[in-house]
Amino acid sequence: MGKVMLEVKELTTKYITRFKEDVYAVDHVSLKVEEGKSLGIAGESGCGKSTLALSLMGYYFPPLYYTSGDIIIDGRNISGMEPDDIRKTILGREIAYIPQAAMNALNPTGKVINFIEDVVRAHDSKITKAEVYEMASERFNLLGLPPSTLERYPVELSGGMKQRTVIAISVILGPKVLIADEPSSALDVTSQKMVIRMLMDLMEKQVIKSMIFITHELPLLYNVTDDIMVMYAGQMVERGTAQQTVFDPLHPYSKGLMGSIIVPESGSRGVRLTAIPGTPPNLKKPPFGCRFAERCRYVTPECIVRQVEPVETSNNRMYRCIFSEEYLRKAYANE
Amino acid sequence: MKGYFKYFRNKFFWFVVTLIFAFLLNFLLPRLMPGDPVAAITAKIAQGSTSIETVKEVYKEYEQLFGTDKPISQQFVLYVRNVFNGDFGTSFTQYPRKVSSIIGSSLGWTLALQLPAILVGWIIGNVLGALAAYVKKGWDKVVMPVAIFVNNLPAFGLAVIMLVIFAVQLKWFPTSGGYGFDLIPSFTPNFIKSVLVHYQLPFWTLVLIAIGGQAIGMRSMSIYELNADYVKYARFMGVPDGKIIGYVFRNAMLPQVTGLALALGTMVGGSLVAETIFSYPGLGSTILSAVMGSDYPLISAATLIVTMMVLAFNFLIEIIYGLIDPRIKAAQSD
Repeated sequence: MGKVMLEVKELTTKYITRFKEDVYAVDHVSLKVEEGKSLGIAGESGCGKSTLALSLMGYYFPPLYYTSGDIIIDGRNISGMEPDDIRKTILGREIAYIPQAAMNALNPTGKVINFIEDVVRAHDSKITKAEVYEMASERFNLLGLPPSTLERYPVELSGGMKQRTVIAISVILGPKVLIADEPSSALDVTSQKMVIRMLMDLMEKQVIKSMIFITHELPLLYNVTDDIMVMYAGQMVERGTAQQTVFDPLHPYSKGLMGSIIVPESGSRGVRLTAIPGTPPNLKKPPFGCRFAERCRYVTPECIVRQVEPVETSNNRMYRCIFSEEYLRKAYANE
Repeated sequence: MKGYFKYFRNKFFWFVVTLIFAFLLNFLLPRLMPGDPVAAITAKIAQGSTSIETVKEVYKEYEQLFGTDKPISQQFVLYVRNVFNGDFGTSFTQYPRKVSSIIGSSLGWTLALQLPAILVGWIIGNVLGALAAYVKKGWDKVVMPVAIFVNNLPAFGLAVIMLVIFAVQLKWFPTSGGYGFDLIPSFTPNFIKSVLVHYQLPFWTLVLIAIGGQAIGMRSMSIYELNADYVKYARFMGVPDGKIIGYVFRNAMLPQVTGLALALGTMVGGSLVAETIFSYPGLGSTILSAVMGSDYPLISAATLIVTMMVLAFNFLIEIIYGLIDPRIKAAQSD
C-alpha cells in the first residue's frame, strides 16, 4: 500500500440558505487516496459532488459551512487550522483545485502571468518576478503549452487553451492533491482528450501526487481513475476500483447509473439502456432511512425506517444498502 | 499594437462621421422651430412706429443682417464658414452682443460649478458603493436606501428643498445668483468670498445627485464581480484578499468610467435645472433664455459646444477603454 496522500474521515458540511435553512450536501463522507492514485467521484447533478470538492479544501466561506469530520493531507490534519493559515500554507500548495467553469476562472483584465505571480507570491513573498516567469514557463513547457500564453489575456485564449492554462496554474506549486471538478465537461471531444491527457501527464511526471476527479461522465472516469466513488444525495453509496464499480456495481443506485450509460467496451452493443425513475430527495429534509429508497426497485418497508450504514466487503469495497452482496447479485441476475 | 491602431482608426472614423451629422442637426433643428425671431426683434425696435413702411424697412435690414432672407442651404454654407473662423454670429435676443462673448462669459461659471461637482460626486459615490458591496451588513442597509432615495429625487426637487432649508430657513447661504448683486466681477477678496458663498448650494445639490447614481451602479457592479468565478478560483489558490479586491474593483470600475465620461460630456449643458433654480449665471441659464427667444445663433453655438464635448469625451473614453480593458481590444481586432 502506498503512502496515503489524502484521508477524509466522516466529513460533513452544510449550506445555510438565506432563510436560515440547513442543506446537508456532504454527509459523513470518508475517503482515502494513496500516492500516485486517482479517485473518481460520480453522481447525478445536485448529489453533492462539487460541494465535496469545495469541502475537501478545508477553507469555507458562506454559504458553505463546516460541521464535523477530519481532512488529513499527507499526515497533517487541516480541519482544526485557522482559515487564514489554511489559505496561506495549504491552498494551492498542498491541495489545489481546478474549477468547473474554467471559462471565467481567470480575471478578464489581467494577464496570465500576473495571476501566476499573485498565486506564487501568496505563498512565498520573497520570490522575484523573473523567477516566477522562469518557473511558469518551465511548467507550461512541460505541459505542452506555449510559454507565450503567459503574456496573454484570458480573452485571447480558446476554451480548450483556457482550461489547460487553468490546470497549469493550479499545479504551479506542485500540490500533493489535485481536485478536478468536471474539468472537461464544457469542452468538445478533442479538447477533452487534451485535458485528460494533460491530467494523466501530471500524474506520470509526478507534478502532482494524487488526484480526485469529479464528473458525471462515467465512461471517462473508468478510463482515467483507479478508484470510483458514487455519491447520492450527499452520501457516498458505493466505493471500489473503477473496474468493479462500472462493471459489477453493488448498490442499486450505482447499478441504475451504470445501466443508463454506454461504456465503450466489447459486448456493450446489445445492451439496452435503462433510466432511474423519480428525482433525488430534497436535502433540506433528507429522508430518515435509505435516501435512495423512494426510487429503488428493490425497496422494502425496512429501508424507510432504518438508517443505513455503509458496509465494507471482503475485497476492500464499500456500499450502503441493507441487503447482502449475494442477495443483490441474485436480484440483478434475475432481471 | 497593430490591433490597437486598427481599433483607434475605426473609432476615429466614426467620431468624424458623428460629428458631421451632429453639426448638420445643430444647425437645422433650431431653425425648424416655429416662430420668426426677426419679426420679434422688429416688433421690439419698431415699437410705437405707425408707418408700415418703416417696419418693413427695419425687418428687411435685420433679415439681411442675420442672413435669414437667403435659402437655408446657403445659410448653412455661410454658417459653416463662419464657425470655422470662430464667428458664431450675433445674438438675436441680446443684440448686438456677439454669441461668442455671451458663451465665453457663461461657460466659465458652468465649468467651475460642474467639473468639481461631478468629480467629487463620482469619487464619493464609487467609494460608498464599493464599501456597500464589500462590507454589506448594516452599512449596505443604510447606504442603499439613502442612495436610491437621493437618486430618484428629481434635480429641481432636491434643489428647491436645499433652497428652502439652507437659504430660506437657516439663512446660511444666499438664495440665488453667482455672486452678490451689488458686486462687479473682479479678483477682490470681497468678490471671491461672495462667489464661494453663492457656490455652495448649487454645488452640493449636484454632488448629492451624482453620489446617488454612482453608488447604486458601483454597488451592483461590485457585487456581480465579487461573485464571479475568478474570485472563487483565486481564493482557492490561496491568493490574499487584498489582491482579489484589487481585481474586483478594477473590473467593477470599468462601467463607472463610462458614466464619468458621459457626465463630463454633458456637463456644459447638463446643469440647466440647478442653474435655473439658483439663477446661476452659467451656460444652462443662457441656453434656456436662448430657447425662449428663438435665438438661433446662440442655441446653435451652445448646443454645438455640448455636442462637441459629448463626442470628444466619448471618443476619449473609447480610446482609454481599448487600453484598460483587453476584452474590447480583442473584440475589435477580430
